[in-house]
Amino acid sequence: MADLSAPALSVPAAPVLSPRRPAVSAIAWAVGPALLLFVVFFILPFGVMALLSVLTGNPAIQSGVTFTAQHYERFFEDSLYFEALVATLRIGAITTVASLVIGYPLAHLMARTHSRIGHALLLMAVIAPMLTGIVVRTFAWMTLLQDRGVINTTLLSWGLISSPLKLMYNEFGTIVALVHIYVPFMVLTLTGVIGRIDERLEQAARSLGANRTRTFLEVTLPLSLPGILAGSLLVFALSISAYVTPFLMGGTDVLTLPMLIYQQVGASFNLGFAGALGVVLLAVSLIVIIAYNNVLGRFAGGEKMA
Amino acid sequence: MTTIKPDRRSILKAGAAGAALAALGAPHIANAQAATLKITTWGGKWGEIMKGDLLPAFEREFKCTVSADQAFPFLPKLQASPRGNPIYDVLHANSNEQWKAVEFGIVEPKVDPKNVPNLKDVYPYAINDKIAGVSIFTSGIGLGYRTDKGLGKPTSWKDLADPKLAGQRGGYLIPVNSLGQAHLMMLGQIYGSGMQDLDAAYKALEALKPIKLFDFTGQMEKALLSAEVTMGVIHDSGVYRYEGTPEPVDFALPSEGVLALEQVLTVTPGSKVKELAYAYIDYMLRPDVQKKLAEAVWYSPSNTKVQLDAKYDAKLFNTPEKVARLIQPDWKWYNARKDAIDLRVTRILRG
Repeated sequence: MADLSAPALSVPAAPVLSPRRPAVSAIAWAVGPALLLFVVFFILPFGVMALLSVLTGNPAIQSGVTFTAQHYERFFEDSLYFEALVATLRIGAITTVASLVIGYPLAHLMARTHSRIGHALLLMAVIAPMLTGIVVRTFAWMTLLQDRGVINTTLLSWGLISSPLKLMYNEFGTIVALVHIYVPFMVLTLTGVIGRIDERLEQAARSLGANRTRTFLEVTLPLSLPGILAGSLLVFALSISAYVTPFLMGGTDVLTLPMLIYQQVGASFNLGFAGALGVVLLAVSLIVIIAYNNVLGRFAGGEKMA
Repeated sequence: MTTIKPDRRSILKAGAAGAALAALGAPHIANAQAATLKITTWGGKWGEIMKGDLLPAFEREFKCTVSADQAFPFLPKLQASPRGNPIYDVLHANSNEQWKAVEFGIVEPKVDPKNVPNLKDVYPYAINDKIAGVSIFTSGIGLGYRTDKGLGKPTSWKDLADPKLAGQRGGYLIPVNSLGQAHLMMLGQIYGSGMQDLDAAYKALEALKPIKLFDFTGQMEKALLSAEVTMGVIHDSGVYRYEGTPEPVDFALPSEGVLALEQVLTVTPGSKVKELAYAYIDYMLRPDVQKKLAEAVWYSPSNTKVQLDAKYDAKLFNTPEKVARLIQPDWKWYNARKDAIDLRVTRILRG
């Protein structure tokens, strides 16, 4: 996110040679398709969803549709919806932190590996899970974690436990599966940033007497903060909008806003309330992301990071 | 040797003559482009029979093409499409969704027997006041159970509450599954004053915890087969289809009655091919078509004229006496309270 409040550089005014319109750069034209994509596949659908959330029906197919706040009022009428929002953010935050803890060392290793084969093998290991669909990976976790799954059956047969551990149909199972699915996003984002950190800076810190831990904490980690921010935002955004994995792994213990949104669209056919839930999720997520950005920016020396 | 040099006019003439000959020789090709019937239908074994056999036969007979959507959810897609040009001509859905579609005005509430002659041969339950459109098949919702866990064959819905089944019983995510919704109403019937006694139903639901919940019957089937669940609410078709296999599962019809899970067809008011839509419903009610599907997926046919083979005849609901055991929930009543029920059951079943 650019800091628009930053003072512009003072540049002497150039003499105006002609009243020609400023030429549009080639890069600006190249951005066109992405911008179009963003408008068509995000702004427009989001606008429709936001509009439906303040209407009594769908004006395209119904008559007598009026503006209303009923869908937002309903969100605040029962605490279940607020609890679902909190659970969504909690699952997103824990998944992000766990992905970072698992992904950072892997990304560091990938960035610092000088062997081409080693780098390729690590890259394949990270990317391979992404080549199978989310549903397949979630079902794989189900076969591992369910009561009669591989883990419980093995532990029972070894006599280590007398009844199956509750490994799924709860937040634990949901987060385990989400972390597995989203760690590659964290690793790939961090690898690029860590790879661009000049190794000589770390070597200089070591030569000045810093041990490995101090070098990491005072040189590598601060310089990799942009990657941590980008990876965290990516994983957080994906986790809070996940539907399939919480639905299959969470059972009745887990209720997130995407599950409620699908329920409203697919089973209750209430597009207005589904829209209101979507708007609330987006608004709260944006607030969380802006706060996170600011906090991380302070650690990086008072600058906003993105 | 004379060389014939074709000019533009002769090529156009030849092309027009060829097209006319093709249309005369194979009229169905021209008609097929003119009429496309858009329907919804299930996947799995049902979808295999439909796409592999029944729909191609319908296309040949009625000289049309059928576009079949198997990707859930159907109703939101129909809801979002223009009323005058709906995405489907025929909606195949369960009864609760059909009533919701009637409420939205996006399907016709009834099918006229003048348009669908085979309606004269269906059981009354298939077209009564509890049904929007026509139910072409039904299955009975009861209790599926494993036979290798030392359980006796369940005889009552109350058997699901046996304390020995704690954590081993299976149900459905009620907000998204019609079997779960029907079972909730049945709990009101068993433990309270009737299917509309929600307080008794909520109390009975609470007593079923810990219970494993699934969003669709296919998952319940898998849970029963993998012994993740020892006893669960399921439709007869989901268990009978394993007959003759080594799978240790069986189905029990509770003495208090079996809930009907109807497969309902309705026509959309804005359909441009209504005659074809009615012809499709009539086709699905033909005895030969009904027999083929009933015996493939163990669904009870609605047409009274269907003669099933012995093993299906023994188990499916295909006589007036057997059909009398089916309990049809009042979905209009349920849909009117669905939001409040969803909130309450979600609270009950969490944690």
